[in-house]
Amino acid sequence: MKISITLFGGLRQYLPAGSGYNNCDIEVDEGVSLQTLLAKIPIPDGKPFLVMHNDTRITPEQYAELNIASDDQVVLLPPIKGG
Amino acid sequence: MAWQKQILRVNLTTGVCAIEPLNMEWAESYLGSRGLGSKYLFEEMDPAADALSAENKIIFATGPLTGTMASTGGRYTVVTKGALTGAIACSNSGGKFGGELKMAGYDMLIIEGESEKPVYLHIEDEKVEICDASEIWGKTVWETEDLLAAKYRDPLMKFAGIGQAGETLCRYACIVNDKHRAAGRSGVGAVMGAKKIKTIAVRGSIGVRSSDPKAFYKIVNEVNARMDDREGMSREGTLAMIDVTNGFGSLPTNNNRSVRFEGANKLNPEAMHTPNENGHTNFVTNGACFGCTIGCGRICKIDPTHFSVKDRPEYHGASGGLEYETAYALGSACGVDDIDAATFAGFICNEYGMDPISLGGTIAAAMELYDIGVIDDKVTGGIKLEFGSAEALCQIAELTGKGEGFGVDIAMGSKRLCEKYGHPDLSMTVKGQEFAAYDGRSMQGMGLAYATSNRGACHLRADPYEHDFETTEIAGKAENVRDSQHDVAFLDSSGLCLFPGGCGWGLEDYRTLVDAACDSDWTDERLKLTGERIWVLEKLFNLKAGLGKKDDTLPKRILEEPADVGTGKGLVCRLDEMLPEYYELCGWDADGVPTSETLTRLGLN
Ligand code: SF4
Repeated sequence: MKISITLFGGLRQYLPAGSGYNNCDIEVDEGVSLQTLLAKIPIPDGKPFLVMHNDTRITPEQYAELNIASDDQVVLLPPIKGG
Repeated sequence: MAWQKQILRVNLTTGVCAIEPLNMEWAESYLGSRGLGSKYLFEEMDPAADALSAENKIIFATGPLTGTMASTGGRYTVVTKGALTGAIACSNSGGKFGGELKMAGYDMLIIEGESEKPVYLHIEDEKVEICDASEIWGKTVWETEDLLAAKYRDPLMKFAGIGQAGETLCRYACIVNDKHRAAGRSGVGAVMGAKKIKTIAVRGSIGVRSSDPKAFYKIVNEVNARMDDREGMSREGTLAMIDVTNGFGSLPTNNNRSVRFEGANKLNPEAMHTPNENGHTNFVTNGACFGCTIGCGRICKIDPTHFSVKDRPEYHGASGGLEYETAYALGSACGVDDIDAATFAGFICNEYGMDPISLGGTIAAAMELYDIGVIDDKVTGGIKLEFGSAEALCQIAELTGKGEGFGVDIAMGSKRLCEKYGHPDLSMTVKGQEFAAYDGRSMQGMGLAYATSNRGACHLRADPYEHDFETTEIAGKAENVRDSQHDVAFLDSSGLCLFPGGCGWGLEDYRTLVDAACDSDWTDERLKLTGERIWVLEKLFNLKAGLGKKDDTLPKRILEEPADVGTGKGLVCRLDEMLPEYYELCGWDADGVPTSETLTRLGLN
C-alpha cells in the first residue's frame, strides 16, 4: 500500500527525489509500523522532529507499536523556532 | 572596548542638544541596547507619566556589538513608555540605522520634552541640529527618506522615523528605518508623534573600534563558523515556520477562534516562490541587516494586476515582504489567504509606520465584532469586514495608516476597540498588546511568556519553543520561561540579533562575542545575572507605572475555550497553575512583586 507522508520546514530536504513540495508517497506493506515507515525517510540520527499521526502527537516510545493504515495522515514537524 | 562611551541628549522643549559621557558603571551592569536604555529610562522618568506626554523620554540605544564586524551586529532598541501598553516598551530593529548611529559616535540617543512644531533631527558625527519638518510632516516614511536623502545629497544617510500613523497617534505606530525595518511593537512611533519629531537622519564616519581589532576579528570568525545551519533561514526566512505551527496546531486563526488555518499553504514559502496564474512570483530576493551573514529578510513584489495595486504603479516595486509574523497577523489572524493582499497590507505598515502584528490583531478583533453583529456596515463605512476578506484587509490597512474613517477605531488597538464596543474578552492581547503568531494552549510555555512579558504579549521575550515543542505538560515550563527571559534580555542588550540562535549559535557564542567586545570578564554567571537584573528592572518600571498581577494574564478565550485541533486539542492554558510557580522561582511575592532579597541580590535596592 501507499502511505502519504508530509514533511514541513527544514525536514523537506530529506524527501526522496521527485517528491512534491512537502510530501511523498511511500510504498509499504499492509499494517506497517510507524517505526518501519520512518526508517524509509533518511533523516539523520539526532535530528529532532515530531510525528503527528492523524493530528495526534506520537512519542518515540509509540513508534514500534503504532500501525499505519493507507488513509492515515502522517506529518513530520521540525522544532518550532521563534520568528 | 566597543562602547563609544558617549551619548547624545536632545531636548525638544528647549532645543538643546548635548553630548554626554556614557555612564560606564551602568554599562558594566546593563551592557547596552535594551538593558542600558531601560536603566536610563528608569532613572530619568516617572513611570506613571502619560506615554504621550512631554515627560516621557524616547531612547535609541545601541549595544556594544552594534556597528562591529560581528555577524548581525546592526541592532538597536527603542526604549520608552509604550503608547499601546502603558508598560515599558523596548522595541528592537535591524537594518542599517543602528550601526550608523553608533558610527556617528553614540551609544545612545535620548530624546526628551516635546516640540511645539514638527521637527526632525539631523546628525553627522558631532554636528547635531534640530530642523524644521514642515515640509515632511504629513508624508509617508518612504517619501520622507527620499526627500531628505535628496536634500542632503547623501544616499548613504540612514533614517528612523514615523509615517502618518505616528503623527496621528495610532496606538501601535512604529518607527521604521531603512524603509522596511522597524522598531515595531508597543507604539513607540506614537511617542515620536506626540513629541512632534518626524525622523532622525544620521550619518556616521567615526566608526566603531574594539581595543584589539585583530583579536576581535579572529574571535568573530571563529564564532561565525559555528553558525552552520543558516541556509534555510536565508532561503525561506522566518516564513518557513507557518507550515510547522499550522501542522502543530499553534497558528492563531480568525482571532484565535482556531489554531489552524486552511489557507496556510497559500501564504507559505512555496506560495511565495512559485509563479501565480499570471506568471508573477511574489519573492524577489532576500535581504540582510548591517553585517548579517544570514539575510532572513524577504524582498517581494505584488502582482501588478492584483486588486490592491492595480493602476497604482508606486506599489509595483520590490519592498519588504511577508515574514512569519506578518503572514500570521495579516493572513491567518484575519482568515486571509491572499499572499498579495497580505503583502500589500505589510507595505502599508512600512509606508505609514504601523506594527503589522497589532494592526492584524486589531483587524481580526474587529472582524469578530462584525461577525457577531456588534458592528455593522454603518460603523465600518460600508466595508464588509468579514473574516477572510482580502479587500477589507487592504482597505482598512490604508484607512488606519491615514487615520481616516473606521481606521480611527482600528488605530486604537484591539483592547481599546473591544472595550469601546462592549466586548473586552474578544481582544487577544496582554497588557493591551496583540498576540504574536503562537497560541498559548498548544504552547503552554508561550502562554506563560505572553502573560508575564514586560512589554505585553510578545514571542521574543522568552524562548519556550523547544520545551513547548516537546510537551504540553506544564512541569518545567515556569523555570524554562524564567531562565529564557533572562537570557533573551541579555542577548537583546548586546547589539546582536536573536535569529543566529536558530542557525547554530548558542548562548556561549553570544557571550564570547560580548566578552571580546567589552574587554571585561563576561562570564556565564555574569551573563545570567545581568539578564535577570534587566528583566527585574523592567518589571519595577511597570509596577511603578501601575501594572501588577492583574495584568499578568491572558484573554478568557485562551484560559477557558479549549483549542480545536492539533497538539493542544481540548486544552486551555493552565496559567493559574504556572504563574504562582513562576513568581516563586523569580524570587517575587505572591503578587508578583520582587522581594527585597531578590532586589539586593541583583543590586537593585
Ligand atoms: S537574521 Fe534577519 S533580522 Fe536578524 S540581523 Fe539578519 S537579516 Fe536582520
